[in-house]
Amino acid sequence: MDKVMSNKRIIALYVLPSIILIMAIIYIPIVLTGYYGLMRWNGIGSMEFIGFDNYSALLKDDKFWDSVMHSLVFALLSTVTLALYLIVALVLTGNIKGANLFRKIYLLPMLLSSVAIAQLWLKVYHPTTGILNTLLVSLGFSDPPAWLSDPKYVLGALFVPILWQYAGFYILIYYAALKNIPNTLVEAALIDGATPRQIAIRIKLPLIMEVIKVTIVLAVVGSLKYFDLIFVMTGGGPNGHSEVMASYMYRQAFKAFDFGYGSAIGFFLLIICLVATWVIRKLTETKDPIQYS
Amino acid sequence: MKRKAIAVWALMLALVMVVSACGSSGGSGDKVTINMMHLWPEGTSKTQYTLVKEIIDSYEKEHKNVKIKTEILENEQYKDKLKVLSGSNTLPDVGLAWAAGFLEPYVTANQFASLDDLLQGDLKDKFVSGTAEAYALGGKTYALPVELNIVPVYYNKEIFAKYNLQVPQTWDDFKNVVKTLADNGVTPITLGGKEGWTGSFWYMYLVDRLGGADLLDKAIATNDFSDPKLAEAAKMLQELVDMGAFNKGFNGLSNDEAKSEFNNEKAGMYAMGTWEVPNFTTNPDVPQEFKDKIGFFRFPTVTGGAGTSDTWVGGPGVGLFVSEKSKVKDEAKKFVSYFIQQWGEKSVTEAGVIPATKVDTSKINLPPMFIDLLNELGSAKKVTLYADVQMKPGAAQEHYKLIQALFGKEITPEDFAKKTDDSLKAGK
Amino acid sequence: MKVAVQAGMHRKDVASRSIASKVGSAALYIALSVIAILQIIPLVWLLFFSLKDSREIFDLPPLALPRHPKWENYSDVWSAGNIDRYFLNSVFITAVSIVLTILLASFVTYAVTRMKWKLSSAVLGLFMIGLMIPVHSTLIPLFSFYQKLHLIDTPVSVILSYTAFNLPITIMIMLGFYTVLPREVEEAAIMDGCSVNRLFFQIIVPMTVSVVMTAAIINMIYNWNEFIFVNTFISSDSMKTLTVGVQNFVGQYQTNWGAIGATLMISIMPILIVFLLLSNRIVEGIAAGSVKG
Repeated sequence: MDKVMSNKRIIALYVLPSIILIMAIIYIPIVLTGYYGLMRWNGIGSMEFIGFDNYSALLKDDKFWDSVMHSLVFALLSTVTLALYLIVALVLTGNIKGANLFRKIYLLPMLLSSVAIAQLWLKVYHPTTGILNTLLVSLGFSDPPAWLSDPKYVLGALFVPILWQYAGFYILIYYAALKNIPNTLVEAALIDGATPRQIAIRIKLPLIMEVIKVTIVLAVVGSLKYFDLIFVMTGGGPNGHSEVMASYMYRQAFKAFDFGYGSAIGFFLLIICLVATWVIRKLTETKDPIQYS
Repeated sequence: MKRKAIAVWALMLALVMVVSACGSSGGSGDKVTINMMHLWPEGTSKTQYTLVKEIIDSYEKEHKNVKIKTEILENEQYKDKLKVLSGSNTLPDVGLAWAAGFLEPYVTANQFASLDDLLQGDLKDKFVSGTAEAYALGGKTYALPVELNIVPVYYNKEIFAKYNLQVPQTWDDFKNVVKTLADNGVTPITLGGKEGWTGSFWYMYLVDRLGGADLLDKAIATNDFSDPKLAEAAKMLQELVDMGAFNKGFNGLSNDEAKSEFNNEKAGMYAMGTWEVPNFTTNPDVPQEFKDKIGFFRFPTVTGGAGTSDTWVGGPGVGLFVSEKSKVKDEAKKFVSYFIQQWGEKSVTEAGVIPATKVDTSKINLPPMFIDLLNELGSAKKVTLYADVQMKPGAAQEHYKLIQALFGKEITPEDFAKKTDDSLKAGK
Repeated sequence: MKVAVQAGMHRKDVASRSIASKVGSAALYIALSVIAILQIIPLVWLLFFSLKDSREIFDLPPLALPRHPKWENYSDVWSAGNIDRYFLNSVFITAVSIVLTILLASFVTYAVTRMKWKLSSAVLGLFMIGLMIPVHSTLIPLFSFYQKLHLIDTPVSVILSYTAFNLPITIMIMLGFYTVLPREVEEAAIMDGCSVNRLFFQIIVPMTVSVVMTAAIINMIYNWNEFIFVNTFISSDSMKTLTVGVQNFVGQYQTNWGAIGATLMISIMPILIVFLLLSNRIVEGIAAGSVKG
């Protein structure tokens, strides 16, 4: 068995094409980006080597650290909301009629492009004619906030569409994982008199622990480099109150023509993601992955 | 089974090769191909799109050996792609660029060819003075403008009449208009503050009327924002914000969203470039009754201020450049010259775009608002180029944020001036 | 037997519990339905949006019916927008990328989780880090890379980019499923003298149909709506995709919102249909897998 399963030629055949692909398309460019971070370069003209000036400027750049904080807030909120998605997935995989339909409906927002989602939510949040404020006014609030232009609310207001957009994605992953648990295990527990809640906590959750860990990494890393919706909805404004790392990087590299600095931000973003992932792995470490027996 | 895996790989490889074979297109012998990039997609800018196509067709008819290929991108995507292309030295032979601050990195990187030979030759004295100059750097001109805009304040005559308001001549009149409208629950001014440049118009005008036409240009050129008038203009702007002059939540609204409040007659005034004029005159999708209600006025003067009412915020928009690295540079220049000459009057009569070349208003047939504005432009003492265009790209980005902060009352007028000073001095 | 005895002993208890559970399940359905409505609204909104003109879009409340449905938005888009061409390109690029990604990701995941070799966790780490790299910071180096290979303005550049950038997330999604596949099946197969390739294609792949479908749906959504790569690497109009086609209606100073709505509506239809079809396979796949397992 072991001999067959460690056949080097087969392993190479399976793994090498993918490694070559991501090396060429992801790693070489990002290494180049780290290298551009050592340059004074507007992305157009010639480069000038300036050592770690961009990186040290970055460490002192308050606006950058604000954007890091905003990204971290998104990452934290996204992780917490995973619990919500998990509960919905657990409910759907219980003996619920129409579970299949619900699951499909929940994924619908994912199908829309960010342009469309941003347009929709801009209309929800419009300060005078938006759905939300119209509702609040009819409930008796005379002066509801202007959600996207008020520094106090803008981050929270941006998070709701993200939560909503990704609901289907995580529910789908959890649903598929839960469905993969052999029925025999659940039936055996039912025979032993376990309640649905006990089955969920004692049997189902431990069995999909690996999937949960993966989704935590996905949620955190995804949030840290999140860009689309924020860029379309607020452009990082007002006055940088919703700027995140990726939008700050884009602005510096493509709008302010400071490609060297933008590259330094991009590289730093990667490092922050790495640290975050390492922390998550440490926090969620378990002995051995559980096997179905 | 191993064979099967290899077969799968072979299939993938074959697929990739077929695809790439389809993708490559060969050029041929004697013919000259000029690649052109522009930003007028058929879907939104049909008139400009058609005009460009007409010009290209007639040029190709006159020059049988020349083929002109166009690539069309939307505004923001166009800017990003231009940057990626120049980063890898593959700019199109002919394209569009913005003036001053946008142009500078491209010129210093030796990406654009000097067009002085055209300006001295075929196109001598064709441009409105001050327009082609906006694309000059170190005494050479690197792009030739195809449009020129100024920023009037549009207003809804019906709303003004309802509250017995006159077109304001002075700042005090203007504040009175704002107050009356605000007291009656009408949004006085609609502003899409999410995009900082919209607020910048208001600030620029106040600087101009308060400190004279050259104050801002000089401050940006010398990287010195310490003149007290620059902070005072910021203060006047915040007073306006305090009066409730602008629509609710303006800092979170795009220009399109803000514009709709003016179009839906919920707001009395709207300051925007003359590119909006077709929407108030010729656009068939806009009801005539609305068009009839819209007028424009000059930004009011400030009592005791150094400015006059006949200077405008505005400037040339995009201009045609020729890539320095183009293999068909001479052909491309010839085409640019031809394009500018053809574009001239046609652009205003057919596309509603005010060209940067001189237009004789007595000979053409246009809606009155167009004629009035062209005449204003003809008699303008000065057109002050948009602040963000004057500034270098890094400072321009900072300017947008600071304008948002100023309008949102997150910073004091003094800090606004101080931080603008800092960002100018950073030299990015 | 045990169940029956317990039921007999607590009959009253069970009766009251069933009332409670009826109330509970009613509440559950209400909650699930509310979420479902929230997720369905965007489609309805988009439909209305696509039938309004630019003025109505900003003037009327988002969910209001258009005054005069502008069906010509659709015909305008179809005639002016070159939509049919973009549509075919989208289908082609999305389909090829999905097949490539799923195939490569399955190979890698299998080799990493089931086969024994020293570098397996290092290789896995390599893919994990790929997840953290922001797209924008790779654009300029990638552009130069494709240019040297003469792949600019060909679908290959886009397909390779999609495949490379989607590999990490696809592997992550598959990972949790592969780690919990029962070892016994493999052991038995190898005892019978089955080669690794055969084991992989004939036994493992069928068992993972559900996760393959999940990953395919997610890949499809990403690729179908992707924008930055197509916009950067493709310049000929004949090779653009729908997401870039939408941009044809964003002008220098004016935006044709009605046409954008129509394009978005046209572009969501195929992905919606494919999604509904594929998403059924998730459940079927599980059944198929368990028969073999």
